[in-house]
Amino acid sequence: MKLRVIIWFANFFGAISRWTKRGSGVMVTGRIILKLQPNAVSLLSNKRKVILISGTNGKTTTTSLIYSALSVKEKVVSNYTGANLFAGLAAALSKNLSAPMAALEVDEMVMPWAIRQTNPEMVVLLNLGRDQLDRLSEVRFVAQKWRDALACLPKQCLILADADDPFVVWAAVDWGNVLWFSSGAHGHIDASTCPSCGAVLHWSENGANYSCGCGFEKPNAQWVLVGDELSGPQNQNVKVLSGIPGRAALSNAARAIVAALYFGVSMQGSSAAISKVTSIDGRFGKLKISNTNFRLLLSKNPASWRETLATSASGPTSVLLVVNANTQDGKDTSWLWDVDFTPLKQRYVVVTGERRLDVSARLTVNEIPHHVVANESAAATLLGEVEADLIASYTAFHRLAKSVAK
Amino acid sequence: MTFTIVHLLPELLGTYGDRGNVEILSWRLKAREVAHEVVTIGVGDSIPTFADLYLLGGGEDDAQIAALEILGKKNALQSALKNGGHIFAVCAGFQILGMQFPASGDRTIAGLGLAGIETVSAKHRSVGELLSRPTVPIEMLTGFENHGGQTRFLDELQPLGHVVSGIGNGQGSNVDGLVTSQIVATYMHGPAFARNPDLADWILSRKLGKLPALSAPIFNDLHDERVSRAK
Repeated sequence: MKLRVIIWFANFFGAISRWTKRGSGVMVTGRIILKLQPNAVSLLSNKRKVILISGTNGKTTTTSLIYSALSVKEKVVSNYTGANLFAGLAAALSKNLSAPMAALEVDEMVMPWAIRQTNPEMVVLLNLGRDQLDRLSEVRFVAQKWRDALACLPKQCLILADADDPFVVWAAVDWGNVLWFSSGAHGHIDASTCPSCGAVLHWSENGANYSCGCGFEKPNAQWVLVGDELSGPQNQNVKVLSGIPGRAALSNAARAIVAALYFGVSMQGSSAAISKVTSIDGRFGKLKISNTNFRLLLSKNPASWRETLATSASGPTSVLLVVNANTQDGKDTSWLWDVDFTPLKQRYVVVTGERRLDVSARLTVNEIPHHVVANESAAATLLGEVEADLIASYTAFHRLAKSVAK
Repeated sequence: MTFTIVHLLPELLGTYGDRGNVEILSWRLKAREVAHEVVTIGVGDSIPTFADLYLLGGGEDDAQIAALEILGKKNALQSALKNGGHIFAVCAGFQILGMQFPASGDRTIAGLGLAGIETVSAKHRSVGELLSRPTVPIEMLTGFENHGGQTRFLDELQPLGHVVSGIGNGQGSNVDGLVTSQIVATYMHGPAFARNPDLADWILSRKLGKLPALSAPIFNDLHDERVSRAK
């Protein structure tokens, strides 16, 4: 069957899935395409400039921002709603076949496959940290997978990689064509040992620098974000305007500007386009439950909880935490104890979700006064007519994001 | 007298939230107004040998080996045991105490030799809820295990619990962990003391004697919920 017919056929069933409210239709579309044409991702990437974006945290945001920046100049296809496995990539590439560019978010473990299939022109590597250890692998193992996969990149491919993250650096360092980016992140909870030789990694300058006796060290970054000022290797300079709050979002916006620049979009043009993005797939979207106006935030592992708590600290006084432990969340909630919830100390905290007792135990020891309730409705009843942040783990977030006002 | 807890190398052995065990012990002692201090030992710090309780957590291969090298220097833990100290060890920390454990690349690493156990690579990684009936007078134990090793007893040793569900020390062993007069070890994360307040208090009472009752129902509720879900 011809690929265009397969896509039409798959889109038809995807539309049925949407109409019958079984889902967004993306996965159905992608699965059918791959079933009928296993090389579809490769075929659909052909003649396109493909950018792959991966990392433990910030994939969806960065992909969406790169998409927005590139769209200033070209038609782009993207899976910026976060469907980052095989079917999601196929479905994204099957849209708008005339679009010359594709910005694809890729699950960390799918990167080797995605690299082989798409022959990317650019790979953006954000970070690697502990995440759902019951389901995914320990961090160094993922870094090794990346390292092996990156060795198979097409020669002209450019990697935009985070210099602050030793795992990312180790994965990318042997590639000759790397742009190092630094947002001045300090330390790394999982990088106590050298990813290269296993010896204790020497962190200095309060975690701003690292090196090892084996020669592994932090590379000099060509692109540096200080505050909201992004500067580049040829004295480029731009103020990064992010419509999404938080330090992590600003850093991702800066990466998007750098990525788009290498595809011919001016930094000012990218920054302006990015500043208009205020919510990504429900993140930072508005959600009203009873009389409470929630702002929805996603948090899924220690690193993202730390970022989210810092971002939320400048938000409303009331905050609802919703934590589940389904397969996509990770079934082990031990990581809650790797998060310092002290930023919640002066706030009115309510807890729910399937693992609310685990959260309550953690907050109790962290000496954060809080209320435990059965569900979000009960939380809204307790909170009343206020603005509140709702920080949710993966499955709760995606359930609630469907109700976010578009 | 101040009860001293030594938190050993949390940067290396702290991948699975096991640092929570230290916080929980401290919280339970504080709630009972028991004078105590927590000494956190980082890479490069010397290990005190006269503390009451030493805690070791889980970690990845390289970190486990790096931790072993540090712990092995000057036989600090041997001295601590000689001086009457107790050890609570989880997962990688448990394995380090034995005669040997496996590492990536088919390597076998000699352990500290403080317990008559050895760990070998298991065919399948043990991941999931772990429930065990304790061999000591406390309530059912609940945790989350995530390890690629299989630990065998080389001597006649007492396990911490008989496995009700999950794997524990290894397929077919039907036991989890280890109890000696001075060492308690387990494969349970969660962390173990969050889900098992009885275990936390039992370990403290081995050094401190009978502890006053503590009303902290959240930990008992969490324990009961996890036990009932795992059954």
